[in-house]
Amino acid sequence: MYSTTTLIIGAGQCGLAMSFELSKRSIDHLVLDAGRAGENWHSRRWDSLRLLTPNWMNTLAGQVHGPDDPDGFATARQFAAEIDKWVTRHAPPLFTNTSVKSLSRLGEGYIAETNRGPIRCRSVVVATGACARPKIPVFASTLPHRIEQVSPITYRSPLELRSGGVLVVGASASGLQIAQELAWSGRKVTLAVGSHGRLPRTYRGADILQWMHLARVFDEPFTKVDDLERVRRTPSLPLIGSPERDDLNMDILQARGVELVGRMMDIRDGKAQFSGGLCNAVTSADLKMNRLLERIDTWVSDRGFDELVEPPKRFAPTTVSTDPRLTIDLSEFDTVIWATGFNPDHRFVQMPVFDRKGRFQHHGGVVEDGLYVMGLPFLRTSRSVHIDGAPRDAKALARQISGQLSQPLAA
Amino acid sequence: MNMTTQTTPANNGVNVEALMSAREALTEMPAAAEFTWRAECEWLNGVHSRSTVKGFFGLGEEHEHAETFSFDADHPACFAAEDNGATPVEIVLSALASCLCAGVASVAQNRGIQLRSVVAKVEGDMSLYGILGIDPSVRNGFRGIRVAFDIDADASKDEIAAVVAQSQKRSAVFDIITNPGNVRVSVT
Repeated sequence: MYSTTTLIIGAGQCGLAMSFELSKRSIDHLVLDAGRAGENWHSRRWDSLRLLTPNWMNTLAGQVHGPDDPDGFATARQFAAEIDKWVTRHAPPLFTNTSVKSLSRLGEGYIAETNRGPIRCRSVVVATGACARPKIPVFASTLPHRIEQVSPITYRSPLELRSGGVLVVGASASGLQIAQELAWSGRKVTLAVGSHGRLPRTYRGADILQWMHLARVFDEPFTKVDDLERVRRTPSLPLIGSPERDDLNMDILQARGVELVGRMMDIRDGKAQFSGGLCNAVTSADLKMNRLLERIDTWVSDRGFDELVEPPKRFAPTTVSTDPRLTIDLSEFDTVIWATGFNPDHRFVQMPVFDRKGRFQHHGGVVEDGLYVMGLPFLRTSRSVHIDGAPRDAKALARQISGQLSQPLAA
Repeated sequence: MNMTTQTTPANNGVNVEALMSAREALTEMPAAAEFTWRAECEWLNGVHSRSTVKGFFGLGEEHEHAETFSFDADHPACFAAEDNGATPVEIVLSALASCLCAGVASVAQNRGIQLRSVVAKVEGDMSLYGILGIDPSVRNGFRGIRVAFDIDADASKDEIAAVVAQSQKRSAVFDIITNPGNVRVSVT
């Protein structure tokens, strides 16, 4: 049986950042990954995907800057290669191809059952990621077999889909990006749009994320948030990373021939049914964007920078049909893409530490003394799901871990 | 300087504190959050009927309204009826407007926005080809519904728009109208 002080499950940017912090503190640990380090970036992203955060936001633990051009957008493959380089350089105590079947309490610590046998430890960091399993509505099971169903994890490229019409369900980053790529490939694309966001790629001459960073939008701590439940449900930033710094929004997709419909609600009598609330969904997204732009404008003028950057502007409200289709016969589609969000996969954790929806109950990543989780939406700040959120959260949690380990064991 | 800073807290007559503490309490008690609403409708004559509303179930027990409320529904003279009440579809429009108004007041209160007046005008378009069975491709119900709010409040245009957007997002009737639902009718 293996034994270690702290077991880190998952070798993505979070698990590796934690390894980095524990090494700095000379805490003996082991990192496991069911595949390679950064496996998701290697094999579970579509071909054309680029990170939507510019490289200066894609720093791994101990790095001052991310891959290449700080303002560029790395492809998922390039980022996976960065992780490989990091692993070569830092040589973390890593077991690859090691999957954890179960994790449970044992004595003063925990025991993980793995395909390499059991591993005992004093503390555990679960860093298996927020996007392990696509969250697919239950009515998906009633789609006819004729229709191919894919998720952003299994989608690869337009070439691998059948030639017919595609229904993309969900309009956060994945749904928008995939809908655009499919429209470019000449397919007829319908996009089902529920509650979503809208952001311009650039504003007043800089990347929108640069402004959000400066205005400290990403830094509000979880302890100061009014409604943590709500912010933890906020979908990914509705952006695309492209060398041209292109915008991506509903109007652009419509101009490329994408038909917008409301949130997909059900399938009945061979027809997909959509909500009649599309108009409010796009209005809400526009209003929310304008509140952010106001916050940025205030930040700029408070510092007297108005003369130094482009003047403020407001973007035209999104135009949607007042009469979008509410039902569409499934015969119009050969493929349905469920870009409806993801859930983590923490089913291997066999302890009563979950809420009624099966989510870890945690305080900024601390589930209990000895059990920690990373990489979930708004774990500690909204940065927690960004790549450069991992080193920050790892630092904060490593302090907790070392504090816990310096406590004497109960008699 | 923040021009919307208020010297007196907004009072729209909504007890937001009570709603917020209910929200917190119910988060831990999903069973208590289950409500069943009821109405009873009795046919009177022709297309005239009277619905009464009295009891409902929620928070784990039966409740009664302070009094029994009743609503007559009928149809106007051009439907060869006696016009003893609003048509059922007008009652639906009223329900939508009431639900959104309640939402506007609550959201505004929660955001510290004092309302002075709120008027919602609702219109629904329908072709009688549906209910009269003239054309099976025409639906019975509304083809589209428009709600126009006229709101006077201590807030900017965008803040008011955000309150109206949020009231739609949290409205039961808006959801009932915009999204499909199962209805099962039985006969005893």
